Amino acid sequence: MNIQLEPSSITFVTPAIALFFFSLVPLFMKVFRGNKEPSSFSVLIYSFLGLIVAAGLSVIFPAESSLVFSGALVFDGLSIWSNFLIILATGFSIVYAREHLETCHRQFSEIVFLMMNAAVGMMIVAWSNDLIITFIGIEIMSLCLYILIALSDEEKLSKEAAFKYFVLGSLGSAIFLFGIAFIYGGSGTTQFSLLKSASFELVSTSPVFLSGIVMTLLGLCFKAGVFPFHSWVPDVYQGSPTPLTTFMSTGVKVVTFVVFLRFFATGFLMPESSETLLNVMQVLAVITMLIGNLCALGQKSFKRMLAYSSLSHTGYVLVGIISMGLGGGYAVGASGVLFYSFGYLLMTLGTFGVASLYESRVGQEIYIEDLKGLGRKNPWVAISLSLLLLSLAGIPPTVGFFGKLFIFSAAIQNGLIWLAVWGVINSVISVYYYLKPIVHMFFSEDECMLSSGRSKQLTEFSVGLMATLVLLVGFMSSSFYEFVTKSVGQLF
Amino acid sequence: MTLSAIIFTPLIFGALLCFLKSDKSIKVSTFIFSIVHFLLCLFMLSNFDKTTIDIQMAEKISWLPSMGISYFVGIDGLSVWLVMLTSFMLPLVVLGSWNSITKKTKVFHLCLLGLQTTMIGTFLALDAILFYTFFELSLIPMYFLIGIWGGKNKLYAAMKFFIYTMAGSVFMLLGIIALIFMTKSNGGVMSASILDFYALDIPFVAGSYFSTQTLLFFGFCLAFAIKVPLFPLHTWLPDAHVQAPTSGSVILAGVMLKMGTYGFLRLVLPVFPEAAEYWSWLFLYLGVMGIIYGALVAMVQTDIKKLVAYSSVSHMGYVVIGIFSLNTFGLTGSLYQMLCHGISTGALFFLVGMLYDRTHSREITKYGGLAVKAPIYAIAFVIVTMSSIAVPMTNGFVGEFLILLGTFGASKVAAGFAVLGVILGAAYMLWLVKRVFFGPEGELVASKDEAFFKLTIKEKLVLAPLIVMIFWMGIFPNHFISYSEASLNHLSKNMSNYELNIVGQANGPEVNSNNSQGESK
Repeated sequence: MNIQLEPSSITFVTPAIALFFFSLVPLFMKVFRGNKEPSSFSVLIYSFLGLIVAAGLSVIFPAESSLVFSGALVFDGLSIWSNFLIILATGFSIVYAREHLETCHRQFSEIVFLMMNAAVGMMIVAWSNDLIITFIGIEIMSLCLYILIALSDEEKLSKEAAFKYFVLGSLGSAIFLFGIAFIYGGSGTTQFSLLKSASFELVSTSPVFLSGIVMTLLGLCFKAGVFPFHSWVPDVYQGSPTPLTTFMSTGVKVVTFVVFLRFFATGFLMPESSETLLNVMQVLAVITMLIGNLCALGQKSFKRMLAYSSLSHTGYVLVGIISMGLGGGYAVGASGVLFYSFGYLLMTLGTFGVASLYESRVGQEIYIEDLKGLGRKNPWVAISLSLLLLSLAGIPPTVGFFGKLFIFSAAIQNGLIWLAVWGVINSVISVYYYLKPIVHMFFSEDECMLSSGRSKQLTEFSVGLMATLVLLVGFMSSSFYEFVTKSVGQLF
Repeated sequence: MTLSAIIFTPLIFGALLCFLKSDKSIKVSTFIFSIVHFLLCLFMLSNFDKTTIDIQMAEKISWLPSMGISYFVGIDGLSVWLVMLTSFMLPLVVLGSWNSITKKTKVFHLCLLGLQTTMIGTFLALDAILFYTFFELSLIPMYFLIGIWGGKNKLYAAMKFFIYTMAGSVFMLLGIIALIFMTKSNGGVMSASILDFYALDIPFVAGSYFSTQTLLFFGFCLAFAIKVPLFPLHTWLPDAHVQAPTSGSVILAGVMLKMGTYGFLRLVLPVFPEAAEYWSWLFLYLGVMGIIYGALVAMVQTDIKKLVAYSSVSHMGYVVIGIFSLNTFGLTGSLYQMLCHGISTGALFFLVGMLYDRTHSREITKYGGLAVKAPIYAIAFVIVTMSSIAVPMTNGFVGEFLILLGTFGASKVAAGFAVLGVILGAAYMLWLVKRVFFGPEGELVASKDEAFFKLTIKEKLVLAPLIVMIFWMGIFPNHFISYSEASLNHLSKNMSNYELNIVGQANGPEVNSNNSQGESK
């Protein structure tokens, strides 16, 4: 195999390189100071420098869709957009980690190092044009996360979560890899751009290729937590320290959606050729929404409730992904998915931020009832959380509403009307548990738990920022939507 | 700019409220704000041209061009009085809750002002998504009003109210999305403007449950029928009313329920004319059942407020049968009845609230002989009762008479049963008056003296405008109907090919899309 490395292609991967080098800085500081933890503030500064440089480099080298490294990576609007999402998720998760009890101690520099490297893995996943590279990226990301979860001081739950995540994640990766082998066997390539022309025919003629597609999908469903592979999600989300849960539920989710987009953009999902697959995907989407919402109804733990709600949001996104797979040339579904991912990222960063805030001040797991009295104690946080929850429930004019609007529009446009009907039924169910925290915050007369402990200004600021963005992006959804549409335009 | 000002001034006033500290200054300034807002609405009314059917004072700013969504507001004969009603009620609500709201005064008034913005926005929006936005947003302040200042079972009532209403409206959202895509195949560009929806020719197959128009029709109807609330979807209303504070009940009954019936007039009839005509029997019968069921249940209530709440179900049934009689009398009566119901039921809730503030009980059996101890209160109550049971010279008579006239043209059976409802209505209201105001003194009345029941100046100030309106609307209905006459005539005559233009833009985009549609046929 003749591998040529063009010097210009290096420029495209500079964001990942920058992130990696800056992630080393705190670690080296610790090494050179004789294993003494540098001040968490300086670690925060260095990591943010890295993130800002990475973001800057992503802007400097925008390109019309270009394949580099012999077609292994692709740089298009989607890559750049996901760069920003990853950087956003990483940045705010690090902020939360700095102010969280379980993560801010002696190993903060290691935690930041691992988080930034997980972000490097995420970027590689988002850029990959080749299923093998996708796999490598997923592994880089996942390995960092396994260690991160296990690193926590917390005794039992986090070890259990790490182990569960590791075993099930490996199983998912194995199935994913197995599927890649079948795809290669059926088509002779693992590159998305080459599959694009072939997959439509192959999926109906070659059973090997079809089984490859199915297994790859299963692997991805594992990662995204789609029914019936969702059972690890609540346990892992609950057991991990909240900043890492934030990181997982934003970064990992968004990146998996991007892979879904790239994979479905190859156009194997056509009503004529793969009707069964289409039906199965639809059923999976509906059940994922339902399971997530129904289980969330009865949760007492705030984090577990959010974990189940994130399941249902995966279901909504899946609706968009399916419509995008059907739409072929039309990018409505794809832009819907990307817009929704962005909105979901903002909302999740905000809501988990509140969970992190509470845990770090009260020092124990937070239940929904514990939010009582927050409306009087800290009205700004309470209002922000209410906005975020209402946005998650899809109340206009927040970003959550517009995300759902775009996704359901895409579904209706592609004739998946009953999928859209299930979607809205589910969003009504979800209103019940999204309103419960609001009830406790504003309607309860009890004393707030937050009276003890130091205030965590950065986390509070981030939560407020997210709430503002949720409203602002909602109002200015047109410019964001146009931007997103432009980004996915090169996908097809 | 007038309409935007009317929509958003309450919100701006709310923002100003945040800078105030003392409870009294908050109450006084909210009252002043609400008067200013009412004056603004009067200014709008004075500029309103009652001769034209077109949309006036329209404003259109693109919001989400890729889906044709815009900030599009305008006013015509259908919405003008509902806006006036909304604005008219606010100062009264602020005044009426002066002494009963003791905790979180600032949040309470913020909720009132926010509610005002969303309700007026719903009535003025001419873009379907904007309409949906305001329609949904109005739930949030009301949810807080019930949840924070409500009675014992407030959490249950607030949650039920929110989820029930939202469950209906999300199907409307799907319907709106489907209609937006239809405008694309019709006019070439996506548009969420309701005026463009009117131009759509949606396929309808009589008798089929799954033809496009029927499905969309029921999607929209579900949203509005829950809001109205139409029997058998009314179960959230008694809970919400009983638990809500007086001000919440007044706004809920006075204005919010009208968002549902307004939706029927603005969206359902003109956009789905064939389906509305075909299914009108269903709504006539549901309406009639609501009238009779509401009246019968009201009759056996022991709680005054619950009685008034069920009477609301009954009265809103009249509005629905008026709308679905699909003729000018019925539609005019419905619009008039919306206003009358807003004023008379609002007044009833105020009166019940005044009594409750004093005795903290709403049990009918604990009262009796109140007319001796509280003569002015009794007079006011009886006048409002007269309006509620549609005695001639009061506003209720005009509305119900027109509705019955219209219903008679549509279905004689429905009209017959609806008349029965009038009798039942008189029965439960008069029986209530008899048990509360006459007869032997009840335990709550006997132990108190006249001074205890004496109405304060503020309370008199709340009741006086309402009573004036009851007579004004009853004796000179044409002062009000003349504003809406043209629009209602247009709606009933041209329902199947309904169209509206913006004043001064007769060759606007809506007309063009019609033309191109005509040519392609």
